[in-house]
Amino acid sequence: MTRLIDPSLHKLSFIMSEMGDMVIESISLAIDSYLTGTNTKDQVLKLSDAIRAKYFDVEDLTFDMLLKYQPVADDFRLIRSSTEISYAFSRFGRYAYDITLVRDLFGDVSECTNASLVESTKKVKHMIKAAVLSFAELDVRKAVEIREDEKFIDKIYRERLPKLIESTNTRCALAEALLLRYLERIGDHAVFMSDAINYVVTGKHRPSEERIASHTKTEN
Amino acid sequence: MTAMTTKSTIMESSPITTPEYRSPIDASKYKMIAENVTVSYGGIDAVKNVTMKFKEKSVTALIGPSGCGKTTFLRCLNRMHDMTKNAKVTGKVMIDDIDLYSKEIDPIYHRRKVGMVFQKPNPFPTMSIYDNVTAGLRLNGVRDKKILDEIVEDSLKMAYLWDEVKNDLKKSAIELSGGQQQRLCIARALAIQPEVLLMDEPASALDPIATQKIEETIIELKNDYTIIIVTHNMQQAIRVSDYTGFMYLGDLIEFSETKKLFTDPKDELTAKYVQGHFG
Amino acid sequence: MNSIQDRRQEYRSLFKQNVAKRLLVDKAVRIIVFSCVIIAIIPLGSILVEVFKNGLTAISIEFLTETPGSAGSGEGGIGPAIQGTLIIIGLSSMIGVPIGVMSGIFLSEYGDNILARFVRFFNDVFMEFPSIILGIFAFLIIVLVLGHFSVWAGAFALSLIMFPIVARTTEESLKMVPMTYREAGTALGLKKWVITFRIVISAAKSGMVTGILLSVSRIGGETAPLIMTILGSSQFFSSMDTPMDALPLRIWRLSLLPYDSAQLQGWGAALVLIMIILGINLGIRYYFMNKKNGFFGQLIKQRRNAIK
Repeated sequence: MTRLIDPSLHKLSFIMSEMGDMVIESISLAIDSYLTGTNTKDQVLKLSDAIRAKYFDVEDLTFDMLLKYQPVADDFRLIRSSTEISYAFSRFGRYAYDITLVRDLFGDVSECTNASLVESTKKVKHMIKAAVLSFAELDVRKAVEIREDEKFIDKIYRERLPKLIESTNTRCALAEALLLRYLERIGDHAVFMSDAINYVVTGKHRPSEERIASHTKTEN
Repeated sequence: MTAMTTKSTIMESSPITTPEYRSPIDASKYKMIAENVTVSYGGIDAVKNVTMKFKEKSVTALIGPSGCGKTTFLRCLNRMHDMTKNAKVTGKVMIDDIDLYSKEIDPIYHRRKVGMVFQKPNPFPTMSIYDNVTAGLRLNGVRDKKILDEIVEDSLKMAYLWDEVKNDLKKSAIELSGGQQQRLCIARALAIQPEVLLMDEPASALDPIATQKIEETIIELKNDYTIIIVTHNMQQAIRVSDYTGFMYLGDLIEFSETKKLFTDPKDELTAKYVQGHFG
Repeated sequence: MNSIQDRRQEYRSLFKQNVAKRLLVDKAVRIIVFSCVIIAIIPLGSILVEVFKNGLTAISIEFLTETPGSAGSGEGGIGPAIQGTLIIIGLSSMIGVPIGVMSGIFLSEYGDNILARFVRFFNDVFMEFPSIILGIFAFLIIVLVLGHFSVWAGAFALSLIMFPIVARTTEESLKMVPMTYREAGTALGLKKWVITFRIVISAAKSGMVTGILLSVSRIGGETAPLIMTILGSSQFFSSMDTPMDALPLRIWRLSLLPYDSAQLQGWGAALVLIMIILGINLGIRYYFMNKKNGFFGQLIKQRRNAIK
């Protein structure tokens, strides 16, 4: 039986999947442009703006659904999480743009690349793909992978920062610091996203919140 | 507050509300417990072995598709099925540790602890507003006019009807609008100083504004009474109740805090029903 | 899409198109039904007209208050008969109405068993009993046993006619009161008899009164039982153990006399009887319709308020 809310739910999932694809593309472009030195700023900006516009669409749509249909249970959790997840998507787009700005500001920093940076960016790309897929399939098992990746990115972030403070190559150090910061933020949002997906499927709230709060305060 | 002092004067002086009739208040205790209640009509089970506990001063909503047995179950809680032929009720319904269905007690005396409001407003047609509210009292022997006046004012205030009718209590009850009639029925049920209030889809026959007023009334009454409400309107259940029970074909499928049941129902059937896949 | 529209057109065309002819048929039926009503009313109306026409001239204070004169003299009146009718109606009601109402209550409120079915059946049979048989019964039981005609016997016989009607109409009126009021009473912790007498009966009052009035009208005109029980007399009421006059008896006696003056008095008596019955009916109805607390009165008030 088609319920009144079903067409709107389909529209929501369509928009979200479009956003997901754009997020993967923009992050990949941004990271590659940093590592290889290509300038993709305009492309990524366009993507980021498009993602942002879709975020507002999702906000409108979710509030519309809440107003009209007063959804409960699975529908409710899905709609509530979509707000959080689409916000995470919009941040990803924004950070992707920020990364291209670094490349733009600092010029070609491809020689500053080092092994841990490459590892981190690989993890980020993997994480983003896992996050988008996890939401599309409402698969909470991928959340474990996302959390692992985020831990790694955090570790690198904490290891490298002190070293960058000591570094003599200011340009590379600053560029890397900025990049690591953006990657770390992307990681955090990816984990929030996995929490939201977890909420949709299991009904449990914010399992990672405390963990993230705790390890940003202490040395791990 | 005049309403509260009126209630205490009533408790002390009225014959039907002597101190041993009003049990001491214990907020964490269960006010009413229905245990293994089964209702069958001519061999067919309308309510199958249902057990529910109702916390004191809470609102519990019973939801479920038509014919699931929620109204039948509600009517067990004040022994209304005594009036129905062919109805067989087994199990226990305990109010404050007294089983309503035990052979030793007088059902009429204990029925006064449980007030009931029906789906279609049914004020007594030949009586005035005043007489309707006091019907349960006068016809049970309470005669002191001063006390009756106090109770009328108290009950009508609690039902949010006092301001609208205080100038003409002698008006006939059926001249009121539907929403007012229903609030009058609530006042009438409250006048006998019950401890539990049963409501069978109290707003289903009313327009949206009247429904809103009834819901406001229920939320206010929650402070003093244990309320059990049958409703087919899920948003209403979400708005007014603390606990919700979902019944289907005579079985109690799920019972939990309202927020939990509507955001994260444990049972597949519950999830399907509340999201509108059937019913 | 087109085929659906075409099908709908097809369906529409199936409806009978001959509207004009059917309006005519409608009108014709209305006229026929209306004429049937007229035909039914005409005899009733003509009776009233006849009685008025013939009896009006006989009415006078003397006629209404004096005892009958000698047969054929044209003097005297029907005073004792009027008094007797009022007394016998009153007494019979005092016996028949309470018993009938109680039976009606039993059948309606407590009547879900075999005994009630029995009672209902006998009640219906009883209602159709020829009144002369009831008169004979009263004759056998009271008149023969006591040895003389008396008012007791007459009241007894008429109450036998009254009580099945009252029981039946009371039961029907009580059954028409919606169950929900009884449920509300039960939920308030009221005992069953309290609910029945204080709530259900006041809601059923109008129907019950109608039933009682029906039975009063019925017995007001019964002649055969009276012949066998109070016999009739030319004197005013003296005691419960003696015969008494009543309008139906007087009318009968007067109509059998060959004198014109007697015939005239008979018409007058018939007019008086009709006026008494009419008066009782209208009076009590008017009283109940305007009484504030009656259910019927409330409905009227509600409608007035709605129109306002």
